[in-house]
Amino acid sequence: MLLKLIYKEIIHRKLNFFLALLAVTFAVAFFVSFFTANEASKRETIRLTRDMGFNLRIIPKGTDMNTFWTKGYSDYFMPEEYVNRFWKFKNFSFAHLTATLYKKITWHGEDVILTGIAPEIEPSGKKKTPMIFSIKPGTVYLGYEVANDRQIHQGDTIKIHNKSFTVAKTLSETGSMDDIKIYGFLPEFQALLNLNGKINEIMALDCLCSYNPAEQGSQLQMIRRQLSQVLPESKVIINTTIANAREKQRHMLEKYFAVITIFLIIVIAIWIGVLAMMNARERQFETGILRAIGHSGFRIAELFIGKAMIVGIISAVLGYVIGTVLALELGPGIFKITANAIKPVYALLIWSVIIAPVFSSIASLLPIMVAILKDPAITLKKE
Amino acid sequence: MIRLEKVTKIFGLPPKQVSALKNINYRVKEGEFIVVRGPSGSGKTTLLLSIGGMLQPSSGFIKIENKNLYSMNERGRTKFRALNIGFVFQMFYLIPYLNIIENIMLSPGIEKDKTRQSKAIKLAEQLGLANRIFHKPSELSAGERQRVALARALIHQPGIILADEPTGNLDPENSLEVNNILKDYNQTGGTVIFVTHGKDADRYADRILYLNKGEIA
Repeated sequence: MLLKLIYKEIIHRKLNFFLALLAVTFAVAFFVSFFTANEASKRETIRLTRDMGFNLRIIPKGTDMNTFWTKGYSDYFMPEEYVNRFWKFKNFSFAHLTATLYKKITWHGEDVILTGIAPEIEPSGKKKTPMIFSIKPGTVYLGYEVANDRQIHQGDTIKIHNKSFTVAKTLSETGSMDDIKIYGFLPEFQALLNLNGKINEIMALDCLCSYNPAEQGSQLQMIRRQLSQVLPESKVIINTTIANAREKQRHMLEKYFAVITIFLIIVIAIWIGVLAMMNARERQFETGILRAIGHSGFRIAELFIGKAMIVGIISAVLGYVIGTVLALELGPGIFKITANAIKPVYALLIWSVIIAPVFSSIASLLPIMVAILKDPAITLKKE
Repeated sequence: MIRLEKVTKIFGLPPKQVSALKNINYRVKEGEFIVVRGPSGSGKTTLLLSIGGMLQPSSGFIKIENKNLYSMNERGRTKFRALNIGFVFQMFYLIPYLNIIENIMLSPGIEKDKTRQSKAIKLAEQLGLANRIFHKPSELSAGERQRVALARALIHQPGIILADEPTGNLDPENSLEVNNILKDYNQTGGTVIFVTHGKDADRYADRILYLNKGEIA
């Protein structure tokens, strides 16, 4: 009887039902499209900021910083094994760990920097697109100036210290020291330089998710203090420009979403509340008579909450479909780099079906209380 | 047995208080047909709603079958009303989106009765609504609507029917029909308290209670 009553009331007051449905559907569609797009936005931000380069550099402790900044690398070395120790250090969310060895040599009468790169290590164990090239043994990548000055092309063979390498790639101009680098497979360059098992830098990307930019200094000190326990013969440099850019970008997105979410929740809740109040007023004589003939306040609440739940469930499904279609249609135009990664988030359907009816019921609570608490005798006397 | 002891009902706060009922003492025996008469504002409806457990007196008490109505909590009183009392109003108060049978079955007193639909159809037929059972209230005449309201009040066979000017919106022919239905119910042992300001129900009454300005006249 309860469901029949709810169903017949919905059919009888179609406009009220339609407007409530519209409100919740709009809210769900907005959240679904926003969450789906937000996931794409996060990926896009990660990609864009990742492309800004590594932000964490771990170098040997004895490094003289004046020399370091002048030359671009440390003259001191540390064991390659440090990268594994660092990998086991779980306190921070480091990604893209890369052991590197830099050494300036004179090659064909010019200074170049040999850069041995080990394959990136992911602390999470997840497969990630490498930030830096993954160089195969026997091959090298040439910086722009190195290749351009000597007219070396991809596929050519070059010799460094009497060892032959195939040029796998010539890199485009960066306008930095990278243009005079020759990148190679770390173990091969270690052997070439008689520095087996040695590196002079570990590069990493720290997401810095928990960083408060205002506390940058103290956070850096904390990282240094903690790293000194596992890598005593090293020191840490953080590129705060990149770190802050990443951090600010994420904070900005999160704040933007939070503000819009709060605003929307309030507007939709008021919208549903007003509709429910109108419905409760329109139905006050019905509720009065139901109370008069002996139906409990609980039964009256069931009628209103039942309707709100139905509104919520239908809206959840409709809103999910609309929101997902919107995100899939509009998302790729906005997030061009990660466009292909924009996919329906099925978990949002489950959340929508749970949250929308609850939200719709909560927004109807005040009118329900009014309907229940209104003295039926007063209502019937007025009628 | 319905017993009213020093029942007073005051609406509002000083200095705008209105005494709707003043120190009413009255007893209704089981199976009696009581007509409550009086001019507008005399307290008739207030009295009826108080007996129906919907309006708590400011003082005094009301007992039905030796149960003090207002010593029960709201839930208990609602349940008591659902099982023992049938209400009929001047404005019918039918649910507009339910058909006749659904309106009759709305009574919570028969909610758990699996034969309620056949009972409702049978009652509708007895009250001359056989051809109207799937109609909505808006498709019925005033007399038919009131018969539906009566069917809803009678379906769970309550001991008491409280009727608040049930013929107030009806023509003489339909009024007669409604009065006869209530009298028939009364003759099966049901108690009827019939509020009106006309005299048309007087001939059915075992006793007439006159109210004036909240007092028994």
